[in-house]
Amino acid sequence: MKQIGHVMILASAGSGKTYALTNRYIALLAGGAAPERIVALTFTRKAAGEFFDEILKKLADAAADPGAAEKLARQISGRDEAEDKQRAVPHSGTPGPADFMRLLRAVVDAMPRLGLGTLDSFFARVVRNFPLELGLGGEFALLEGAAAQVARRRTLARLFTATAGGPGAAQREFIEAFKRATFGAEEKQLTGKLDAFLDAHAETFLDAPRAECWGEARRIWPDGNAWLAAVGRREAAAQALHAALPWETLGDKPRARLENFFVALPEWSPGAPLPPPVEYLVGNAFKVWDELRAGRADLTLERKKVSLAPPACAALITLVSAIAGAELARRLEMTRGIYDVVQGYEAVYHDAVRRCGRLTFADVTRLLQPVALACDTGEEPKAKGAGEEGGRLLIDWRLDAQFDHWLLDEFQDTSFAQWSVLRNLIDEAVQDAEGRRTFFYVGDVKQAIFAWREGDARLFREIFNHYNAAAPEAIAEEHLTSSWRSGPAVIAMVNRVLGDEAALRRLLPLAVAARWSHEWRAHTSARVQLGGYAELRHADDEEGRFAATLNILRETEPRARGLTAAVLVQKNDTAARLADYLRREGGLAAVAESDLHVATDNPLTCALLALLRAAAHPGDTFAQAHLRMTPLGTALAAAGLGSPDSLTRRVLSELHTVGVAATLEHWLRALEPALAANDEFSRTRGQQLVELAREFDEGGRRDVAEFLAMAEAHTVRDADAAGTVRVMTVHKAKGLGFDLVILPDLEGQSLAQRRNGLAVHKNAEREVEWILDLPAKIFREHDPVLAAHVAGEEGDAAYEELCKLYVAMTRAKRAMYVVTEPRKASAQSNNFPKLLLETLGEEWSTGDARWFDAVARAKEPGVGTQEPRAGDRVLEPLQGVPGVARLVARRPSGEKRSTVDGAALFALAAGGSAEFGLAVHALLAEVEWGGAGGGVPEIGAGKLEAAWRARGEDTAAREVALGCLRAPALTGVWARPDTRAEVWRERGFEVVLDGQWVTGIFDRVVIERAADGRALGATVFDFKTDAVPDPARHAGQMRLYQQAAARLLGLPGSAVRAELVFTATRARMELAW
Amino acid sequence: MPPRCHLIPWNRPLLPQAVTWLAAGWPGDRPLDLAKQLIVVPTRQAGRRLREALAAYAAQHGQAVFPPRVVTPETLVTLGAPADGSATHSESRLAWAEVLRAARPEDFRAVFPRDPPARDFAWARRLADQLMRLQATLAETAFRIGDVPRGAGGDFPETERWVQLAELERRYDAALARRGRCDAQAAKIAWAGREKPWPVGVEKITILATPDPLPLAVRVLEQLAVRGSVEVVMFGDDEKMFDQWGRPPPDAWARRDWGRLDFEQRVHLCASPSEQAGHIVALAKKYATPEGVLALGVGDGEVLAPLEGALSRAGVAAFNPAGQLRQRDALYALLVALADFAREDSLAHATALARCPDVLAWIEIRARGGDFSPARVLVELDVLHARHLPPTLSAAQGQCTKHDGESAGKFPAAGFALDALAGLRVTLTHGEFPANAAAALAEIFAGQRIETDAPLAESAAAWRETLRETGEALEKFPGVTRAEGWELALEAFAAATHADEKPAGALELNGWLELLWEDAPHLVVAGLNDGSVPDAVVGEMFLPEALRGRLGLKTNAMRFARDAYLLAALTAWRGGGAGRLDVLVGKASAAGDPLRPSRLLLQCADEALPARVKFLFREIEVAQASLPWARAWRLRPKRIAPPEKISVTALRDWLACPFRFYLKHVLRMEHVAPEKAELDAMDFGTLLHAALQAMGEDEALRDCTDEATLRTGLLAVFERRARAQFGSELPLPLVVQLASARQRLAASARVQARERAAGWRIERVEWKFECVLGRIAVRGKIDRIDRHVVTGARRVLDYKTSDTASSPEHAHLGPISDAVRPPWTRVTVSGRERAWLDLQLPLYRRAVTAEFGMEVACGYFNLPKAAGETAVVLWDGLNASMQSAAEECAKQAACAIAAGEFWPPVESGGRDEGEWAELFHHGAAASVEWPEPASSGMETESQKVEGGGP
Ligand code: SF4
Repeated sequence: MKQIGHVMILASAGSGKTYALTNRYIALLAGGAAPERIVALTFTRKAAGEFFDEILKKLADAAADPGAAEKLARQISGRDEAEDKQRAVPHSGTPGPADFMRLLRAVVDAMPRLGLGTLDSFFARVVRNFPLELGLGGEFALLEGAAAQVARRRTLARLFTATAGGPGAAQREFIEAFKRATFGAEEKQLTGKLDAFLDAHAETFLDAPRAECWGEARRIWPDGNAWLAAVGRREAAAQALHAALPWETLGDKPRARLENFFVALPEWSPGAPLPPPVEYLVGNAFKVWDELRAGRADLTLERKKVSLAPPACAALITLVSAIAGAELARRLEMTRGIYDVVQGYEAVYHDAVRRCGRLTFADVTRLLQPVALACDTGEEPKAKGAGEEGGRLLIDWRLDAQFDHWLLDEFQDTSFAQWSVLRNLIDEAVQDAEGRRTFFYVGDVKQAIFAWREGDARLFREIFNHYNAAAPEAIAEEHLTSSWRSGPAVIAMVNRVLGDEAALRRLLPLAVAARWSHEWRAHTSARVQLGGYAELRHADDEEGRFAATLNILRETEPRARGLTAAVLVQKNDTAARLADYLRREGGLAAVAESDLHVATDNPLTCALLALLRAAAHPGDTFAQAHLRMTPLGTALAAAGLGSPDSLTRRVLSELHTVGVAATLEHWLRALEPALAANDEFSRTRGQQLVELAREFDEGGRRDVAEFLAMAEAHTVRDADAAGTVRVMTVHKAKGLGFDLVILPDLEGQSLAQRRNGLAVHKNAEREVEWILDLPAKIFREHDPVLAAHVAGEEGDAAYEELCKLYVAMTRAKRAMYVVTEPRKASAQSNNFPKLLLETLGEEWSTGDARWFDAVARAKEPGVGTQEPRAGDRVLEPLQGVPGVARLVARRPSGEKRSTVDGAALFALAAGGSAEFGLAVHALLAEVEWGGAGGGVPEIGAGKLEAAWRARGEDTAAREVALGCLRAPALTGVWARPDTRAEVWRERGFEVVLDGQWVTGIFDRVVIERAADGRALGATVFDFKTDAVPDPARHAGQMRLYQQAAARLLGLPGSAVRAELVFTATRARMELAW
Repeated sequence: MPPRCHLIPWNRPLLPQAVTWLAAGWPGDRPLDLAKQLIVVPTRQAGRRLREALAAYAAQHGQAVFPPRVVTPETLVTLGAPADGSATHSESRLAWAEVLRAARPEDFRAVFPRDPPARDFAWARRLADQLMRLQATLAETAFRIGDVPRGAGGDFPETERWVQLAELERRYDAALARRGRCDAQAAKIAWAGREKPWPVGVEKITILATPDPLPLAVRVLEQLAVRGSVEVVMFGDDEKMFDQWGRPPPDAWARRDWGRLDFEQRVHLCASPSEQAGHIVALAKKYATPEGVLALGVGDGEVLAPLEGALSRAGVAAFNPAGQLRQRDALYALLVALADFAREDSLAHATALARCPDVLAWIEIRARGGDFSPARVLVELDVLHARHLPPTLSAAQGQCTKHDGESAGKFPAAGFALDALAGLRVTLTHGEFPANAAAALAEIFAGQRIETDAPLAESAAAWRETLRETGEALEKFPGVTRAEGWELALEAFAAATHADEKPAGALELNGWLELLWEDAPHLVVAGLNDGSVPDAVVGEMFLPEALRGRLGLKTNAMRFARDAYLLAALTAWRGGGAGRLDVLVGKASAAGDPLRPSRLLLQCADEALPARVKFLFREIEVAQASLPWARAWRLRPKRIAPPEKISVTALRDWLACPFRFYLKHVLRMEHVAPEKAELDAMDFGTLLHAALQAMGEDEALRDCTDEATLRTGLLAVFERRARAQFGSELPLPLVVQLASARQRLAASARVQARERAAGWRIERVEWKFECVLGRIAVRGKIDRIDRHVVTGARRVLDYKTSDTASSPEHAHLGPISDAVRPPWTRVTVSGRERAWLDLQLPLYRRAVTAEFGMEVACGYFNLPKAAGETAVVLWDGLNASMQSAAEECAKQAACAIAAGEFWPPVESGGRDEGEWAELFHHGAAASVEWPEPASSGMETESQKVEGGGP
């Protein structure tokens, strides 16, 4: 078979990425690789699961069927059928069913050891095995989703906690930093602001934790910055300019402009927006900047040219520079303030969360950064880069695996941080001299829509170039351009819009268009028979686009035809509104594919939450009144819980004794009559809330506010429901395919639009060089460094937008409808509609407009929703086999019924009695019979005591036991009635009485026997060490003992007596029934 | 002497056969006396089932049983061992913690290649736990850490690390030895290795169907077998499939087909844990009495919770023999609250404690009845928090005891509760732990009569035991703080489990390892997924599989063999009409992550494998498509009489939405915000207003044109007010907020100085008025009225403290919304139709015209966050026609309010906002059943109970 080398595959949408990946995996197996030595990593757990299922299915098919085996063998060797047919004899060494059976068995056996999963879980596995090597304290737990949110909130709370005498030094510093970070914009609502602030900046901080990256002028402008140099000269320059201006020559309007400028200038503080008169003049000065520098310039004011002489030019330059410099200086300072704030927060967070071993996936990846992760192959470790410490980790040893083959999926979404963790391991594979180890990566740089999550699509090519530069053709490049998803009509539209290099060049920065076109290959459809349709439609406004969407759905009736349909939009919120519109106006079954807030999206659970709130916070009149508007209010009133006091008492104690879940369940039952018989939806929501509560209860918590917060944040991903129109964002649709796709939400701003936020400038090695809170546009446009940076960001943004459009347009299998608003003549922005206009023109369609006629309508509506699944049998009861009767257990010791004072329950001293009782029992059990004239056995009290003492028995227990033996009142307990008598001591028994299973231990039973050994009668003695004798408390237990003894001895109950022996008072008491 | 082996055939259930085997030779006319036998069974539950079955068997003959001694392999190991001298769990933790904290990382670079983050107690405790688990695992095979380097063999790559770990262990042993203690695992190993006598009174030892005894137990048995009669009873069909101790050896079981099951009929693939639970509940309900016929096994623990939930909803009693964590005891929540309260003086912890019903009851007892109201206490605590944000208990007490100021006398119930809690805190924080912890609890529960068999009594006993154990350990290892002591005790308590008695008729939810002894004919095993059954260790920071193999610890192969045997044994007798085994396999976890079926299910002949793989790895659809949204009910607000008075500002709410106005101003619905941590907009505004009001009332300041004097004056009032309301201990957000307030006041001083210099003199402040519009009195309070000293002109100003400066026109007029509102809510402004959003300034102006005539200007005095925008902004555009339109609108609105016109609500479009989202789903109007006309549903305020079924 073909030698398996390193491969990079650029796979267009729908071109069979999974197919290539699974084939590769099987080819490696067939080539002799052990399954546990192959690492295949992808981004979602779902994808990893599907990938694994697919491998097994292919192998199983091939193992069972020679035809399938032949096909699979061909696929994994990369030959086509025609090639095979030309050969008379089959390939030697071509694997057959028996080989695939062997591989299948190998994969199945290796299941728990397979390196097949997500990047995140792979990294977590490494960290889990090397916590001490990575500087962690020990084991760690993953913080995901809501828990991460809670951790942040707790950190903030901790940061806010007052210390006696007001804020401490650290807190003061934090406040000062916050003030610097938010100059001139003191917020009165701090918590929310800080939360947003940290959301925006925390990750940036963690990527660049060193202060010198933040707001450091020398790093941003290594050659200096003229504006900053002019900062101190603002006042002087203003005076100079005022003096040098040709006031006498000015008309009224230009003069007013200038006067306003001089009035407004002192009002401005850097960091704040420029007052309009200042902005006007600065803007116009920039327009003639070069002339100003030349010393002769015509400044335009109110469409009048004002000629400036050299002194005025110089003064204006200085003044504008000073203004810009002040702005830059302020921004630098704010950037450092941001750093200080985040650093202050992170210090607390680090202490309270990470150090306690709770890490997010991002933390895990970061933790692995400086480490040489190489497998220990016995070679000398390579030289390490700066900052790397520690030796190589013994990955193969501790992970019980040696990794030879690497398969990386969706590579365009891999972040640089992730790659740098993997790099060492993969280096070894690529550089393996013997070629036993391989590297394979696949993805689509045209689908790189996760840059905001650090996905770094440039890596794709960089890695290829890097390895191939070291060893030419080390990695082979392959392209997959034939779509197995989309029919020809859809593909035609994709090619037309996204393959039009000239149009892209007209609309986008050149570098972006070039980058896109470089990787672009014209697509083809591998499913020509699908035919299909694609069309560009217009609608006037949003309402119109929504209506057009509805019309298309009505016209094509996907549900009736059993077709899947999706509407893709740009924002979650639009998805929610559009789904609502389709349901409301069209009566369609549509779901917004977003996370459902199951605890708060319906009246039932909201009422239950109001119940908890009202009980814990009786002053919450909102919750109280809310309850009264619902059937729950009626149920509460019926239960006598109409008043806040009764409600608080009852529900709080219910919560504490049985937990939140059981409390909610109780009230759900009370609500049952109020629910419509067919309202499964609400019942499901009720159950979902109870399940959430159960999870909450597991942690042993009972705090209502905490549960409410958890409930409000709790979301459930809606299950893929057949037969519904799915409305979702393009991001969520990635990886999915639908028969019909509608794109009604492509309006928006220019594609090249930088994302708001700090400017983070990185070098080619992705190291952060500098960070800056960018100054206003008017300034950054005229600073070459900042302008270049912004241009770079805009280019990246534009590229990502193209990717988004590409992903959106490649989801459709049969038909795609794009709905945009007609472009207004005045429109400037180079947005999606503009691109569509440029490439498709005003109107465009291809394929069969009645494409859906070809798809037969299903007989019944709702086909495609619920077919009974194969193997989906309900469990049936077993008929005609008798069960095994189970007994109810009854413990005699559990018969006591009484109450104690609560204080006694918790008094530490009280607990001694149980141990003490056991000790006394043990000592008394040693006594078989009393001696002459008393309870003390023949050896005598002295010897007995000495023996006990020697064994270290408890003094008090010894005293009590001896006292009992000596007590005249107890003589009868120890006396031997006659020589035939027998005694049981500490004897266990099991007996069934009245159908109940009784287990117990007799303390002492004295049995009198007849000469033939028959039992004549018996006495059951039970020792009680209670300080205060309370016979009634033990009656039930003694009754069981008496019955058990009678059963064991074959005696009637009347022949067995039962006596309590109180060791404290040395009294005996017979019980009678 | 090798043990004698017996085979119990597995074509019939184990339990009854085990019973007859044990009872062999018993004539049935006397008690079944097995007291001289020692029986080893795999689990406690198996022992319980065995004793039950013996009792039932004897009862068939009218007899009872002297039971054998039944032990698990774990107890066998320590049988007869002296108890004293072994360190308790707490002592071991503390000893490890001491050693770890004292060790210098640089001396242990093979263990700590990098310095641990912080060598504090929390770190040491966590690592101690890990090392103790490591010791326990090693002890199964009689290893201690120190034995590993030798045991692992020569080419062991981590020798240095283990040598250093061994040194740490040596120090740990020494630390214990100094306290007269030794490690419990070491003691166990030593005892197991010691020559020991045959147990007293035992004639025979039987290992009964125990496929997975601890290696250490086997070692003990090997010794005992030399001295007396040891028998091994296996449950199977072929002795050769077991070793001499009844264990299934990996070689024999690695490939064995457990067949005999109609695979595709009996194996069910389920989309989620709750689907598995659903299947089981449906089945249980089909049985009249499932107990004894149906048995359940749970492989994947994730199925347990939904299963318990589903069974309880269906009314099927269930019982988990594994017991429950104490963490779920009611007492635990109270303990956590107490620990927090003891650790830190904060009002939040105090109120959390007050919400524990036992504490609330305790406060009530201290209040000695009277008209004590628990709700009152909680209401006042919430208000106290919202008004004053006191960070600590003492700050909160301070607010309650104030005799002047606005909070004076407002919090009697909260004050009482806080005093009680402060007393409790004294108990908690004085003296030694755990005595103080015990004392506090005794105080809380004093006087309550508690049933001795109540769950609380049982929890309390366990807690007492924990405290005693912790306390004793702390005495030996002083230097641990109170908070750390609490933490130790709480962790130990939380992790302990307790098992209740099985309720009559309850279905048992057995773990996988319990199922061998289960004799119910119909067995359903849920969660048979790889990783759970068989479980597997993949990679481990101390004991990777390779090392386990070298040390003879339990390996994945051994686990697999055991589980393969178990599955075969469960199936063996349940075929052919005698019973049935159903297997549920999860396709995805609750979080939706994919799961793999157990490899056990793929143990079959090659011919069958492809079909099984295709069956088990096929795609399945979610059983139940998500249901369309449906409304459980519509809200039925009670209708009560409209108010007779409203405020000017409330009109704004009515204009925004009449129905929300009704809820807010008529039903007076208002949330409390227990998580409030800073001033809200209203608090903030009130503080600023107070300072500005005081300035306006001060004769000297009124005429002051000096910015600095004004600023000083304003800030002085402000500081006084802020201090009175919030005390001196400020949480950080307040520090920032108050700073912002000061900055705004300073800016306002500049503007005020300028305004006064321009001739505007404050004439009145906080001027109250009331006017009757229609049938309603509308009240208002004008922040200030200025008069120009030269022109005599007057103007009405309202202070605005929102973050951004607002213009009166923007605040009062907005776009026409789609909602059908009466035409009088609109006004035409320079040709454009606008809607009234607010009527404040026009109504203020109207209120003063009687006195000052029509020529009064009005506007805002803005105090936004941007100091530069602090300014007086007048509403120049408010002309006479607009004024009269506004008045008309106000009159009509007032009439509408008086007439009870609160319907329909204004739809917010899509999702509802903020707190209203709790009430309104998919449209406000659709969410409510509004009784019209008003009279039909009208109730007076005193009628408390209303609402009703759908
Ligand atoms: S950063 Fe956090 S995880 Fe890393 S060493 Fe420090 S404490 Fe440990």
